[in-house]
Amino acid sequence: MGQKVELACIIDDDKIYVNLVRKIIEIKKLSENLLIFKNGKEALDYFQLIMGNMTEDKLPDIIFLDLNMPVMDGWEFLSEFIKIKNNFEKKITLYVVSSSIDPRDLERAKSFNMVTDYLIKPIELKKFEKIFEKNNAA
Amino acid sequence: MLNDLQLNSILEDFDIAYWKVNLFSKNLSWSDHFNALVGKPDTSEPFEYFLKEILHPDYRYDFRIYFDKLTSQNEPFSLELKLKLHNGKYRWFECRNLKNKDHSNRETAVLLFVNIHQAKRDQYTIEENYFYYHETAEMTSTGGWYVDTLHKNIYWDNVTKKIVNCPLDYQPAYEERLKFYAPEHHQRVLSSFEKCEKYGIPFKIELKMLSLHQKEFWVRATGKPVYNEEQEIVGIRGVYQDIDENKNNELNLQNSLDIIATQNSRLFNFAHVVSHHLRSHSSNLSLIVELLKEAKTDADKLELLPNVVDIADNLDAAISQLNEIVNKQSLLSKNRRIIKFEDALSGVMASTSSLINRENAKIVAEFNALEEISYISEYLESILLNLITNAIKYKHPGRKPVIYIQTYIENDKEYLEISDNGMGIDLDQYGDKMFGMYKTFHSNPEAKGIGLFITKNQVETLGGSISVTSTVDVGTTFKIKF
Repeated sequence: MGQKVELACIIDDDKIYVNLVRKIIEIKKLSENLLIFKNGKEALDYFQLIMGNMTEDKLPDIIFLDLNMPVMDGWEFLSEFIKIKNNFEKKITLYVVSSSIDPRDLERAKSFNMVTDYLIKPIELKKFEKIFEKNNAA
Repeated sequence: MLNDLQLNSILEDFDIAYWKVNLFSKNLSWSDHFNALVGKPDTSEPFEYFLKEILHPDYRYDFRIYFDKLTSQNEPFSLELKLKLHNGKYRWFECRNLKNKDHSNRETAVLLFVNIHQAKRDQYTIEENYFYYHETAEMTSTGGWYVDTLHKNIYWDNVTKKIVNCPLDYQPAYEERLKFYAPEHHQRVLSSFEKCEKYGIPFKIELKMLSLHQKEFWVRATGKPVYNEEQEIVGIRGVYQDIDENKNNELNLQNSLDIIATQNSRLFNFAHVVSHHLRSHSSNLSLIVELLKEAKTDADKLELLPNVVDIADNLDAAISQLNEIVNKQSLLSKNRRIIKFEDALSGVMASTSSLINRENAKIVAEFNALEEISYISEYLESILLNLITNAIKYKHPGRKPVIYIQTYIENDKEYLEISDNGMGIDLDQYGDKMFGMYKTFHSNPEAKGIGLFITKNQVETLGGSISVTSTVDVGTTFKIKF
């Protein structure tokens, strides 16, 4: 395996899921660091802060975005994030991760250019590893 | 004067054949044209042959009598009858004797056979058309009318009178013509008639009319201008078709469609819940199983155990929530009864007294304008409970919650309004999602996101609607139209 991902980011309100993913990343040593936000608003606040400070090294290489969250859900985050992401030079890979198997959600997620893929929970460990590897290779 | 030859030729041109009858000998001689029409008989008894072979059996009896009277008393006659032509087909003829002006000359009588087949057929067609028109008009409840715009008169046919439910001798007055239309359609009627009268624009509209006894019913009205010879519009002619049954069916159908659409969206929401909410727990469970497989030591495995407990708890909670929703929706079979708002509220306040006391909430109620309502009591209590606990849950951090509840009647509709002084919500952002399932807008750990979904369902199930207005930092008002 090549170089690890420096910084991964999870935006999800399901504490158990976040815990488990954290564990996977630790065990498999997939990423050096991990950012966790429990809804879209918290994540957006963070990105807007970085934009102001121009501290790009605090930007994640990869984002796992949940859809159903309180305060600001995944869709709202996406439409806000699109507006600011061109301010960053760093390439950020974004995955939508949801337990919804509703085809309409899938279609809608694919309509966003910046969404690399739509992942349905649960994500198998092997799939996780592949995603991180792919991100490294790129 | 014309000679016989010329006369014959003219008669032939008009398809008129004749007999010459010798009144003394009773001998007949047929004109050439007659022979040509029916075929020259090979018999010495042309009269009997005529009766037997040529004249349609229906007219034999009458014809013989008339013929006898003519020959014996020179009594004129005229009879419509059918003759069998040489091609074997029957045709209509009018048979009458040529009047003999010269009374002294009583040797011969002339019997004319005039072909009236076309005229007879036209008459039948007209009768038939009238029959079909009449039956169709009756069957489809389509009545005719005519407005004489020049002399300001209205004429209705019998079917129209039947549709409007007035006696057959009723004469509608021009000045009162609007009284047969529902007030809300007066404008449409006036403009349609005016355009037709002024510019000759025909119309076809659906209208609510009023019967003589003020009963409303739907018609489709069509009208076309009537022109005089100078091409000026002198009237409007048209029909009313009674479509009340159809229209009501259509409205009922639309209503059923709306109900089905609502239920469908509820089902979608439900499917969404199963997809979203239950799956999130089951997928966590699968993740744990995978991690357990990966775990190398017992300590690693044990570390995962609390997560399993959490998932079990969450799954249990999700299932009981679903159960709650199903239970509330199945209350539908219950009957409405008259409930006093005061009673419903005191029941709710009793069951939430600990919350109300803890938050020091103040509830003010005004039910004077509308004290009671016919409703399902469980629904009303559930609606009040949800909206009151909501108001307390999302109170403004800087002040004690105050909830103002009032009922009133507006335009014959019954309303319930619940206002609070809470933190409010940005409706531009969340408005369309307020009543969806599992939508929470505040990071409040108590928010489960099903309260307003259930409330909306209950209100809509009983045919009402709920709306919300809110200002951030000022408060929120829910308005229920029953």
